Order: sequence, then C-alpha cells, then structure tokens
Amino acid sequence: MNHIVNVGDFKIGCDGDMLVTHALGSCLGLTVFDPVAKVGGLLHAMLSLSSINPQKAQANPAMFVDTGVPMLFRSLYEKGALKGRLVVKAAGCGNPMGKNEVFKIGERNYTVLKKLLWKNNILLESEDVGGTNSRTIHFDVSNGQVTLSSAGIKRLL
Amino acid sequence: MTTKEHPIVAQVEKFPGMPGAAVKLLTLVDDPDVSIAQIESILRQDPGLTANLLRLANSAYFGIPSKVGSVRQAVILLGLKRMVQMVIATCTSAIMDRTVPGYDLPAGELWRHSLAVSVAAEGLVRALKLDGGEEVFTAALLHDVGKIILGQFVHNDYVKIALALDQGLPFETAESIVLGTNHAEVGAQVLSKWSLPEGIVHAVRWHHEPEQAQRIDPIMDVVHVANMLCLMIGIGVGREGLNYRPSPVVTKRLGITTSHLEKVASQTLQWANELSQALAA
Repeated sequence: MNHIVNVGDFKIGCDGDMLVTHALGSCLGLTVFDPVAKVGGLLHAMLSLSSINPQKAQANPAMFVDTGVPMLFRSLYEKGALKGRLVVKAAGCGNPMGKNEVFKIGERNYTVLKKLLWKNNILLESEDVGGTNSRTIHFDVSNGQVTLSSAGIKRLL
Repeated sequence: MTTKEHPIVAQVEKFPGMPGAAVKLLTLVDDPDVSIAQIESILRQDPGLTANLLRLANSAYFGIPSKVGSVRQAVILLGLKRMVQMVIATCTSAIMDRTVPGYDLPAGELWRHSLAVSVAAEGLVRALKLDGGEEVFTAALLHDVGKIILGQFVHNDYVKIALALDQGLPFETAESIVLGTNHAEVGAQVLSKWSLPEGIVHAVRWHHEPEQAQRIDPIMDVVHVANMLCLMIGIGVGREGLNYRPSPVVTKRLGITTSHLEKVASQTLQWANELSQALAA
C-alpha cells in the first residue's frame, strides 16, 4: 500500500508498504531500512534545527532534522529494527542557483544530518543531495529499494 | 511578442476577466471617502462572493476572536484593504486551481503555492518590519498567474527550454529565449488587463528579475524571496525545480538573513493551511 509522507512528517512501513514523498527541494528525505526485520521509515524534514522554532518542534519534531532523525530511528527500534543492520539513504537538500548564502537551507539540512549520523556512528549507504532539481522518493519496504524521480528521470538510489 | 497574432498574446487577451464586484471594490480602495454602505451595495449583488468572503474573514489565519457575520463587521474588523484582498483571492481560486502543464503542477498545486507565497510574504513583511507591505498579499497571490497561460507553450517547447537550462540559465531566462516572454511578464499582462494597481503588476512582472526593474520596491523584493522560499520547501515546486536565482542584491537591501527565512518557513505551512481551508470549504 502507498503511504504519502508530507513535508515535516515521517512514516514507518513494513513488508508490502511503499512510502512516498514528493517535491523535495531544500528539504531532506531520509530512508532507513532493516532488511531482516523488514521495517523501514521515511522522513521529510524541512529545516535543520529545532531551535529555529522550538514551539513547532515540540508539536511536530519531524519538521526539523535534529529532532526528526532521532525520532525516525527510535520509531524503527520500537518496531524491532537493530542499529547494526540499518541501511540509511539520503536525498534532497537542494539549493537554488547562484551563490546566495542566505538561501543555503538545503546545505544546512545536509550538514546537520551528517553531524548527527557521524556522532552516532552511522554511515550513509548512498545519497543524492544538492543541486537544483526537485526529487520524489518511492521507498519499497518489501525489499528496501529506493527509487528517485527527478526532472523526468527515474533511478535507484 | 508585440504582434497581436502571437498565440501567447492571443491567450492573454482571451483570459477570463475579474468579476465585476472585484473590479468595483478595487476602484474604491484608494477613495478616502468610501462608505461601508457603498461596499455593502456592491457585494449585495453577489451573494456567493459575500458568503465566501465571510468564510475567509472567519479563517484562523486572520485570528479574529469573534465570529464575523456581516460585510459591515468584516470591513470594520479587517479593514477595506484586507476585504479587497479576500475578494480577489475568492475570485481567482477557481482559475488558479487547475492542472498546469509545462511546469507539471497537478491540480491545486499552483493555488497551494500561491497561498503559501502570500502568507510567507506577509510573514517576511512582519519579520523585517517593512512599511507599506499591504499590497504584498495580492502581488504574492497572483505572482504566477502567467504560468496558467504559458504552461502549454512551455510544454510544447520543453526540449528547447531544457537545452537552455543545460547552459546554466535560470528558468525564466530559458522561457524568454525560447518563447520570447516568460511567465512573470505574461502574468503582469493579465493583471494589467484586470486593472490591478500598478505596484502589484510591477512586483509580478519582476518577481524573478528584481535587479532588472527600474524601480526598487520592497513588495517586489519580498515576493521574490517568498516565492523562492516556498519552492525550496516543496510547495508548488514543479518540473523546473529550484532553477531560479535568488538575488543577492535583494537579500542585502531587505536585510534578510537565513534565520528570517527559516523562521518564516517553519510557520508557512500552518498559515497556508488555515487560509486554504477557509477557501475550500
């Protein structure tokens, strides 16, 4: 069954589920999969740090990378996932054209993600980040396959 | 693009006009002697519009604690400028709700983007404490109206546009090279045909190229930034992705920082949902 993950949201799926998120511009799309427990999660986080808007972060932790990512991992552990088996993939974090530092929201999202993963000894299996394209993720939790659609082209991540 | 025979020009001329009530109210906005009775008599001719207007006035976005039950109350509580903005929003939602080819926007997405840019623009006006930001709502709401006309032309010539994008050009420049005009310019033509105030037409015309405008205008600048921000957070981002260039000149003259952008972004979805619920009901 298809489950759509909106901006500032995450969903956990099991065997037979397809987790989908559209229109990743500067936002981070993160997929985490346990091939043994056959559970997976998809996060669509908008902004890097919960300190931007603590009130929002409390109501909706998935909006921010620093609160959304830990929540995604915790929810998977509750479903039987084990840290050592997790396959983690990232997409999105795009930026508009030019060198306008003020608009580097995507870059900030990516930096915070990398810091978080590094601190927790987790490596990214693959990533497709940056650039100006908008991306859509289809995450098939039956087999862990992550398909990226971007500018009319589909490919496996 | 100057000949009347050009198919894009022909589409601009065929484009639906603004309903009569909206046009009449617009002409009253700048009249210092306007009375509530005059406004009531215009709206009385259009009960559907009045009902939609009251629903909007009661939306969470405007945060009026008591229930707004009449046109008179709405004018008193919100002011005439706000009322006219809502009339325009009510009248344009049907036009802007469609599927837009070329940019590959599904039905409803352009409208969702338009509402999001409006509330983000108002958020930026508040965050930056800008004066005279009242017109920003309508300019933001209608900034992409040109996409409705240009979409089919973008679709037909997408291969050529993609080639121009491969050269590293922003999307609106690619449109101009291939089609002889871009969606901002076409939108401005529609709005001048609708007799909207010059400030709104100007902001729409230059929302992607604010550095090319002859006149510096904070409304234009704010629409430029709010539009970029909403595309970045995935609201109304189409096939062209983030292939636009935010102007460093604009960010400098507005004094805008990443922190302003992120704070507004964190609230934009909620504000846009509050407005769109009132419009969709």
